[in-house]
Amino acid sequence: MEALKLDHVSKRFGGLHVLEDITLSVEEGERVVLIGPNGAGKTTTFNLINGQLPVSSGRIFLFGEDVTRLPVHARAHRGIARSFQISSIYPNLTVLDNAILTAHGLRRSRFGVLRSIDAYPELMEKVQTALDHAGLWEERHEFVKNLAYGEQRRLEIALTLAGDPKLLLLDEPSCGLTRGECGDMIHIINTLPRGITTIVVAHDMDVIFGVAERIIVLFYGKLLADGDPATIQADRQVREIYMGVEEGTERAGAF
Amino acid sequence: MNESAKSVQAKTAPWVWRLLPILFAMVVLAVMPGFLPEFLQRMMSKFLIFAIFSISYNIVAGYTGLISLGQAAYFGVGGYTVAVLMAHLGIDSLWLTGLAGVSLGALAAAAVGPIVLRVSGMYFLILTFAIGRLGYSLTWNVPFFNVPQGIQGIAGLPRPNIGIPGFHWTELSFYFFVLVVFAIAMFLQYRLSRSPFGHSLEGIREGETRMEALGYNVWLHKYLSFVIGGAFAALAGVLYVYMNRFIEPADFDIMRSFYPMAMVIIGGPATLWGPAVGAAAIVFVEYFSSVIVPQRWPLILGSLFVLAIMFARKGLAVYASDLWSKAGAKLWKR
Repeated sequence: MEALKLDHVSKRFGGLHVLEDITLSVEEGERVVLIGPNGAGKTTTFNLINGQLPVSSGRIFLFGEDVTRLPVHARAHRGIARSFQISSIYPNLTVLDNAILTAHGLRRSRFGVLRSIDAYPELMEKVQTALDHAGLWEERHEFVKNLAYGEQRRLEIALTLAGDPKLLLLDEPSCGLTRGECGDMIHIINTLPRGITTIVVAHDMDVIFGVAERIIVLFYGKLLADGDPATIQADRQVREIYMGVEEGTERAGAF
Repeated sequence: MNESAKSVQAKTAPWVWRLLPILFAMVVLAVMPGFLPEFLQRMMSKFLIFAIFSISYNIVAGYTGLISLGQAAYFGVGGYTVAVLMAHLGIDSLWLTGLAGVSLGALAAAAVGPIVLRVSGMYFLILTFAIGRLGYSLTWNVPFFNVPQGIQGIAGLPRPNIGIPGFHWTELSFYFFVLVVFAIAMFLQYRLSRSPFGHSLEGIREGETRMEALGYNVWLHKYLSFVIGGAFAALAGVLYVYMNRFIEPADFDIMRSFYPMAMVIIGGPATLWGPAVGAAAIVFVEYFSSVIVPQRWPLILGSLFVLAIMFARKGLAVYASDLWSKAGAKLWKR
């Protein structure tokens, strides 16, 4: 089944065409990496998928349902979870409270006032699984502001998991991490439950080829290439404009 | 992990030590007033009423991060509802007028919410201020809201009737009535701050985008917070009229709105005791400084404000509790 489908989606800011006529679909359970140089429209694509920005034209389908006009929170209730490029977890709450707050988001209990936030045993299992997956369960009573940067990035992933998502959007999960931490992150993404469809925006080659089953290349708002990692790696156009490795050889050839 | 976290707490401050301030507060609030002269009992009532008003502001601005400058609008609606019912319809039942005042206050906030919540930040501040101003102009010089004729406001109201034959209000019994209402308000604030809904408000304060992405309808949660805040403000307004037996258009205005704001900032925003501590600081400093230096009391109040913001940025409640636990840690090390 198609988890996500973009049907001729465009986004313009005034005269600036950020995304032009993007059509793509992602199957349920697929792990896709979205790449492209700065300004290619990767984050904008995420913003359109989860509804933070309205599309200028085109339609978006989630598991066959047209969600083009639905607000962000309604799309979240249909299974979209996203992490953010800039860590925007709540620094003054503990790791555990952050995760519990996330888990309440998709339940009626988010309006609850009669019980304390952590008095929902039915949620704790999910919260523990999510924190465990990111290796943060031991750290659960720590305030988020006291966590190391790498741990904060991992918490981002844990938070998206606590809500039991069907489609996971990860925006540069390895941004700013050291090599070792980056390896942990790849491991975390690779060990996600297979049922979760995952789309990752990444710059780091280790991450791109470490997690991708399929790579989509954006270039200044256009869909440049779409295929498995080997195909993309071999694609001459991609090498020229994204990886920029052909320049030297071409110059050499001209001599 | 849980156990080790507990033992760390135990090392820094044993539970008896941490219970002492609460015991102290209970003695001050429940025992001391009986031995005070009447004018100070009245001061205590005023302090608790403003503490409830500050709880309203704490919910809206402290927890949710909606910086309003028009909380007096709902204070005024609550107060005027009681005054109008008493002056025009002769209804003096505490239960009826109180219920009507709080409901109408919440209703007013529910009606205003969709307008003011279209904007945020500075614009929200100005819009809420304008709504408060609207209440002021609606009651100013309108005969219906000025009883008896010739004065600004509604004066000469009776004491509320609680329906027990032979019962007479004294300053002290009124104080204890306010104390019970205050305790209920504190309990509600406590429940709210610990609940998933209360945490969602703090989440919204820290980052709306994230909360939306998690499935929270941010607008709805802000709206509910605004209405709950309106109800608490109206409750304070109702009690204020019961105490003063008088209300005037100025009770809608910016100075009235500024009080809970200052109290919450001085006491400690988004903390349980912040509103009460801030209310105590301002009400009593204002009173005693006006006794000691009649012409210069704003100077003292202003200094308090500056000092509190310089040295106790998170509020007096947090500052004091930090000092207390540090002192406890030192004592138990010996």
